[in-house]
Amino acid sequence: MATVQVSEAEKVYILHGVRDDLRVDGRGCEDYRHMEIETEMVSNTDGSAKVTLGHTDVLVGVKAEMGKPRPMVPDEGYLEFFVDCSANATPEFEGRGGDELGMELSNTLYKVFNNRYSVDLKSLCISPGEHCWVLYVDVLLLQCDGNLFDAISVAIKAALFNTKIPKVHISEDEEGGKEIELSDDPYDCMRLNVENVPCIVTLCKVGHRHVVDATLQEKACSVASLIISVTHKGTVTCVRKVGGGSLDPESIFEMTETGKRVGKALHAPLMELLQEEESLGKKRQKVGFLG
Amino acid sequence: MPTDTKRVRGPEVSQSPSLFLCKTAVKKSNDARVDGRQRGQVDVRSVFVRCGLISQAKGSAYIEAGNTKLICCVYGPRETERKDETDMKSGRLITDMRFAPFSCRERGSWIQGSDEKDLSLMLLESLRPGVCLQKYPRSQIEVNVMVLENDGAVLAHAVTCASMALADAGIEMYDLVLGCSIRQEGATYLIDPTFLEENGCNLTSGSRENLGSLTVAFLPSLNQISGLQSDGEMGEDTLTGGVRTCIEGCFKLYPVIQQALSKAVRRKAPPSES
Repeated sequence: MATVQVSEAEKVYILHGVRDDLRVDGRGCEDYRHMEIETEMVSNTDGSAKVTLGHTDVLVGVKAEMGKPRPMVPDEGYLEFFVDCSANATPEFEGRGGDELGMELSNTLYKVFNNRYSVDLKSLCISPGEHCWVLYVDVLLLQCDGNLFDAISVAIKAALFNTKIPKVHISEDEEGGKEIELSDDPYDCMRLNVENVPCIVTLCKVGHRHVVDATLQEKACSVASLIISVTHKGTVTCVRKVGGGSLDPESIFEMTETGKRVGKALHAPLMELLQEEESLGKKRQKVGFLG
Repeated sequence: MPTDTKRVRGPEVSQSPSLFLCKTAVKKSNDARVDGRQRGQVDVRSVFVRCGLISQAKGSAYIEAGNTKLICCVYGPRETERKDETDMKSGRLITDMRFAPFSCRERGSWIQGSDEKDLSLMLLESLRPGVCLQKYPRSQIEVNVMVLENDGAVLAHAVTCASMALADAGIEMYDLVLGCSIRQEGATYLIDPTFLEENGCNLTSGSRENLGSLTVAFLPSLNQISGLQSDGEMGEDTLTGGVRTCIEGCFKLYPVIQQALSKAVRRKAPPSES
């Protein structure tokens, strides 16, 4: 992750502030920075979304392609994640530098979605054992200012909400061969149910307290963070401790509770916002990348 | 990419026979597990550990838990190849975890996949808090774990094995790091799951909630968790309960590992002059 050098005096300042529930930019320990979400940014994708969280910028594109289902689960489609840390984000990512971070992010995303209820994979099946929809979720990091996991998970949820998969119809011809037909109406598509898609909350341990949505400076003062992914019902799909320090079991339990609370509270306004944006339809003002 | 031109793998459309095995749902009477251990109780597999197997390495360890077999060697402290400013103050720990191609049911490849890289990263995060890296500035310590046979709970045993190898190498540590793994199924849990228990559970009686696995790396005398990783879907209390269970499992392992280490030290020590 892009790192920032923080002096000892600054560290002490941040630690004392967090102890009193007051962070450098005036937020409380459980407050997020200003978040902006826009969907349908890229017309070549089946679904896309861009999320700006403080100065972190993430763009997600979802493309649906037809593929062969996995042999062990012939009646389900699947998702493939790929995170690209472009050199635009920070010069550390030049060449192969961003590969490690990109892989860590993709692997975590696979774990987060590795359960049966986040995305209804059965709805992605076209004909069992032969054809299914494969959703390629590609994440592009445009700017990096801390808290990548949260921004990426919100962007993925928004992009999946925005994804329109064309409806296909399998017809059998005389010799028994199957033919796949796309419907003539370009607006005849299937939407995904993203109610159960989890959101990731990253909690950084700073001093004796933990903060949500840490900036790079706060991250430099913390030794360990906990990444927790929570669905709207409050179930936890993935927990991971990152960072080179160790945590007390009691802190982990506290952080899990906070993470669950914050994560749960994130879903309702997000869905409302997405539905509102959708309902605006053609009247929506497109802001794009320069807004 | 090196390809294997000497073996005939069969035509492209061939599939592994294991896909066609009829899934005789392992009918478990609700209490016993296949290997005789109990569900819902802290019943870890008994481990066999031995240090100092590999003469070339500074420190090494071998662990066997049920059918899971791992070997770990430690090289270092050596001079760092990459010179960074951070190296001036503390050392660097480099971990590498690999699976032998014959270790799992399906033959794996020698090229490190993204799973292995992910496990190596988690191993690094679990071991870092235990090692006194500030005593080794400008150096790097390499930890290489090789999984010889994968029968479940690989990451947990890798953490234990690696910390034993580090201790055997004489690297200064705050405490041993022990790992424990648990598989949550509905209301009960299976501690230290075997490979089949970890993976074969999509067929269980459709319990909607609480199907997942959890791995914890723990420093027993300091009471600190250095690694935590979970998967699947669990409620928050189940998660908390699972972490406590794993901590208990680690405490059960601790005396065994300590004994093995003291035996290894005594073996290495020069014979006392009488």
